Amino acid sequence: MSQVQVLKSLEGVLESFLEKVVILKEERLQVLEGINRLDDIARSSEDGFDVTDKVGDWFADHNQWINEQILRKGDVNRINGILNEIKNQINKTPDASPASRKISSEISRWSDSDMIKQSPERAKTSKQKIVLKRGSEDISVLNEPTLIDFSKTLMHCDMMLKRFSYKKLHILSVLDETLDKAKLQKDKQALILSAFIIYYLKQNAYKVEPYVKRLKEAERLFKEVK
Amino acid sequence: MMLNTSEKAYCLALLALKRKDYRSAVEQFDKAAPYFKDDKEFNLYRESTRLLLAVKLEVEHIEDEDRLEIEETFQNG
Repeated sequence: MSQVQVLKSLEGVLESFLEKVVILKEERLQVLEGINRLDDIARSSEDGFDVTDKVGDWFADHNQWINEQILRKGDVNRINGILNEIKNQINKTPDASPASRKISSEISRWSDSDMIKQSPERAKTSKQKIVLKRGSEDISVLNEPTLIDFSKTLMHCDMMLKRFSYKKLHILSVLDETLDKAKLQKDKQALILSAFIIYYLKQNAYKVEPYVKRLKEAERLFKEVK
Repeated sequence: MMLNTSEKAYCLALLALKRKDYRSAVEQFDKAAPYFKDDKEFNLYRESTRLLLAVKLEVEHIEDEDRLEIEETFQNG
């Protein structure tokens, strides 16, 4: 798997997780969006802007909250607090327009609503879980190695041996390089050539344990990448 | 009783996630961090978003490099 493929796979997992978070929190997001919008209106009101129409629009959009019981107690308190801020700003104005007075009474109606007062503390810990599922893994069809494949591998190993033995006097120096290449670059040909050399050395009574250890480590890393 | 800066930022971060605007989400999560730094859920969303943005930038970077190499090859024949 290339670096880009690994990154794209991670990107997909993270994006999927965050999409599920959004879906799970859809209802809360609507509430938060509404509270945030009301908060913006209150800030405009503090800055001296006429927010009558905006509050009217907010009520039109969120009046159903009174009946739908989607608000937590904390939300209700927060909304009431912000609405009271707005109401105080409206009441500060001595010559409030009829529309402003209507909004003020609408705020009182909202705050006094029995439904709002009795809004139950919604179970914050409703045991909802986010489950990330992944599709079945692609199982690449194992191609049975043919004689031609083996012959090609031998040829590649021979070329690699020629390349690595250039200006080297001993086969152990070559083995050292092939093992490094196998380990660092997770190179299959280098892994095979290393094993080949080690077996050859073993047949010729060399002490090969340290090289076998390195070969196993390289093999482990190669399998991880694969 | 109005929202404090961090609460507002957390809210905006979640709304940015909904729009898939991950860059804005990270910015808002950072603003919200002082108030929510001990909130496990907040930290999970923040770190996931940060990682996702970093991954997206890295993928873009690698793909840009490939594109440059191809363009260079064509320019030089």
